[in-house]
Amino acid sequence: MSDAPPEYIDFAAYSRHVPTTIPAAVQQATGRFLDTRAARVAEMENWEALRQAASDLRLHTLTHLDVYLERLEQQVTAAGGRVYWARDAVEARAHVLGIARSSHARTVVKAKSMATEEIGLNHALEEAGIQPFETDLGEYIIQLAGTGPSHIIVPAVHLKKEEIAQLFREKLGLDAPADPVALTAVARTALRERFLAAEMGVSGANFLVAETGTLVLVTNEGNGRMCTTVPDVHVAVVGIDKVVPDWESLTVLLKLLARSATGQKLSTYTSFITGPRRSHGEGGPKELHLVLLDNGRSRILADEVARETLKCIRCGCCLNVCPVYKNVGGFAYGWFISGPIGAIFAPQMLGTRAGRELPYASTLCGACVDVCPVKIPITKILLHLRRRVAQGDRVAPPSAPWTTRVAARLARWSLATAWLYRLGARVMPVLEAPLARNGWIRWLPAPLNRWTRVRPMPAFKAGFRSWWASHTKGPTTP
Amino acid sequence: MSTAGRAVIDSVRAALGRQAGTPVDPRPEILPPRQAADPEAEVDQLLSEVNALAGVAKRVGPDEIEASLRNLIEQETVRRATLWSSPTLRRLDVEGRLRACGVEIVAPDADKHALAQCDLGVTEADFALPETGTLGLLSSPERPRAVSLLPRVHLAIVSRSAFRADLHQVFSEAKAHPYLILISGPSRTADIELTVTLGVHGPRALHLWVLSDGD
Amino acid sequence: MQRRLQLFVTCLGEQFYPDVLQKMVAILERLGLSVEFPRGQTCCGQPLHNSGFQDQARAVARGFLRAFGSSDAAIVSPSGSCVDMVRHHFLELFPPGTPEHEQARGVAARTFELSEYLVRQLGITDVGARFPHKVAYHASCHYLRGLGLVTEAKQLLADVKDIELVPLPEEDTCCGFGGVFSVVYPEVSRAMMQAKVRNVIGTGAAAVVACDSGCLMNIAGGLRQAGSDVRAMHLIEVLASQGDAR
Repeated sequence: MSDAPPEYIDFAAYSRHVPTTIPAAVQQATGRFLDTRAARVAEMENWEALRQAASDLRLHTLTHLDVYLERLEQQVTAAGGRVYWARDAVEARAHVLGIARSSHARTVVKAKSMATEEIGLNHALEEAGIQPFETDLGEYIIQLAGTGPSHIIVPAVHLKKEEIAQLFREKLGLDAPADPVALTAVARTALRERFLAAEMGVSGANFLVAETGTLVLVTNEGNGRMCTTVPDVHVAVVGIDKVVPDWESLTVLLKLLARSATGQKLSTYTSFITGPRRSHGEGGPKELHLVLLDNGRSRILADEVARETLKCIRCGCCLNVCPVYKNVGGFAYGWFISGPIGAIFAPQMLGTRAGRELPYASTLCGACVDVCPVKIPITKILLHLRRRVAQGDRVAPPSAPWTTRVAARLARWSLATAWLYRLGARVMPVLEAPLARNGWIRWLPAPLNRWTRVRPMPAFKAGFRSWWASHTKGPTTP
Repeated sequence: MSTAGRAVIDSVRAALGRQAGTPVDPRPEILPPRQAADPEAEVDQLLSEVNALAGVAKRVGPDEIEASLRNLIEQETVRRATLWSSPTLRRLDVEGRLRACGVEIVAPDADKHALAQCDLGVTEADFALPETGTLGLLSSPERPRAVSLLPRVHLAIVSRSAFRADLHQVFSEAKAHPYLILISGPSRTADIELTVTLGVHGPRALHLWVLSDGD
Repeated sequence: MQRRLQLFVTCLGEQFYPDVLQKMVAILERLGLSVEFPRGQTCCGQPLHNSGFQDQARAVARGFLRAFGSSDAAIVSPSGSCVDMVRHHFLELFPPGTPEHEQARGVAARTFELSEYLVRQLGITDVGARFPHKVAYHASCHYLRGLGLVTEAKQLLADVKDIELVPLPEEDTCCGFGGVFSVVYPEVSRAMMQAKVRNVIGTGAAAVVACDSGCLMNIAGGLRQAGSDVRAMHLIEVLASQGDAR
């Protein structure tokens, strides 16, 4: 998953080939997180008010993003940090590599950062002869396994402890019992060496505070702290959508984030970093570099409906409630971001050629809308993106297959033309009579068998109109 | 600002239909902060939350420091320790007492390898938040960041004066500082089969002692 | 003067559940309402709208406006998702400035789902039904979240004589129909449907009740596929029941 962005996300194929262990593993995680979240929500009388406040704050920031970004740069620079702007992934990688080279970095320790996956940083570092080590335990495990994440908060949840022990044996040459405590201890020891040896630490940030130029990192393991405290050089790659106006705003967002993600009141560690260290004695990096990433975000911002996608604070709660996600897991979404947020973010970042299937990877049930801490209108944006795929809009021409567009025209014709519709209603029961048994149709020719492959269809029975005609109770409007 | 920066800002402005210099609407209102309960209840809540997070939290009186330190050293097999230099820690003579127990003391600004060899790091909390069982630590040359991070065990001493009702108060004070870490329990992960495991990269054990009144 | 209602029977309702529609008429007439059936009606356009073909959907929705727009009588429908379409999406199809806007606004304001109409408009929860069986209730997504109908169906069920309402685990989890979703991603739809069917069978209920034909088609098919004789019924069928054999 550290390579170039996918050229096409084949959700249809991926969802047909979900490994059998995935749904159960994913549902165990999502169930646990939702239960603990429910306990937190029940304790708070102002949960809905907090969500509304968070939504308002995020939207306010996005609609004034130019000002806050300028303020952020000013403040980070005044604090002794250096700011770099990346219009796209190419520029972002170039900045990070440039810093790595001038730091003579041979190894880099990485805290969990979806932005660095978005830009394919690991691959670029490796090509340049610099070894990146993921240090978040879940990310470390999937890095060793060479796969992508199955969940954005617990990326390796699909792997059993036996598989992880095997992985450690093969890739690290280390023998450890298939027990989470022992395996964690192996990872701790192995990665500690890396933290202490690395010349450079790379992180993302959960928030960027414009008021003071402060990076906020929300973690549980301590690897985020290690990456941003131990090496002499700290590079943060952060999307421009992560800006918040001030520290006060964080009080609302931090009250929602951990509770929504895992049901913790606060994550174990929340770091607030403003510039590099001010003195040798206090420790921390000598240099702080902030790479601000656009990579399509300003384009998303231009769309008044879809811009609310950028309010996301990456809690993963929408994944936890999504029945589609829970049956397919993260791999089916084809990129580093999955679930309902992935279904709206990826097609906008990659375009509706590559991402045309994702807006349809939903039943529009709305469970995600109910839980999103920043009230992203996910189903509204899914419909908006379906329109873009099906008939095109200002942003992109249609990308739906021509067969679908023809089918839509046929459907419109038969549904909008009353006499044709009524004729169809009379004809269908006759046409499918040979296929119906006991009121059910078990087989239909392709592509209609997409329904009957899964369960039988009731037989056509239209007869209401003739019943009504003979019912003669009151006037019928012609 | 660099060319790329100008380009990004211009792109953002174009997307929003904003011009340079267009005023910013006031930021939406923040919800009122939590109010503190009475002081003893606040201490009770802090202890209860930290213990629920698998930390070890208790009240400690000035005459109990010696015994508590001995217990800690034995419980956590402490042979080497590093500590902040702070008025409270000096007044309690934490360093002296540790040395007297045979613990080797490493300077807090020693190099990272030396600090990584320490079993125990002792700090004082700048802030304590009862609602979430959270400690806030700033940093300075006398109070280095790695002391609460690299050693296997973290002991945080908390004075009553550190208590704050809500993040609001902590933030209004901390924003002037270049660094703040909020700590809520020992390092943890659930990445392997959702089994909660402590001590991934940060300290495996968090001990928190709230000094009795009058300290 | 009798209260007048226009019936919107929906495309799925008309093709697959004419008996449910007849029962709906019976219930409404028994309550003293005068029911009309505008003959020009076809579909609300939801399948096209939800597939992203808004322009095509608009053509179908115009037909709806033609069929229902001239009368000011309330429009009642046995489908939560169709009512959601009319109430919340017609005004996107016909925004201010379009010739149909006023008519769309009027229609959006007076289209109701049946149980919604009974409980919220008429204040009725007891329609004199009897259904002496164990019943589980599936909360259809658009009915629940689109229309905000959290208790209405259950209130009506609770007042059915001799009924035993049993809780359905994950009652508000989507059944996997999702309109086109069921044929675009059939494997995922299957997994969701099977989870719903397992939950239904696990309750020991004789019937599962819902207020949306799409859900019912999906769940009924799934129950049959599983070899179960649990019935998937529309709420209307229970409300029309006088306690005869299933």
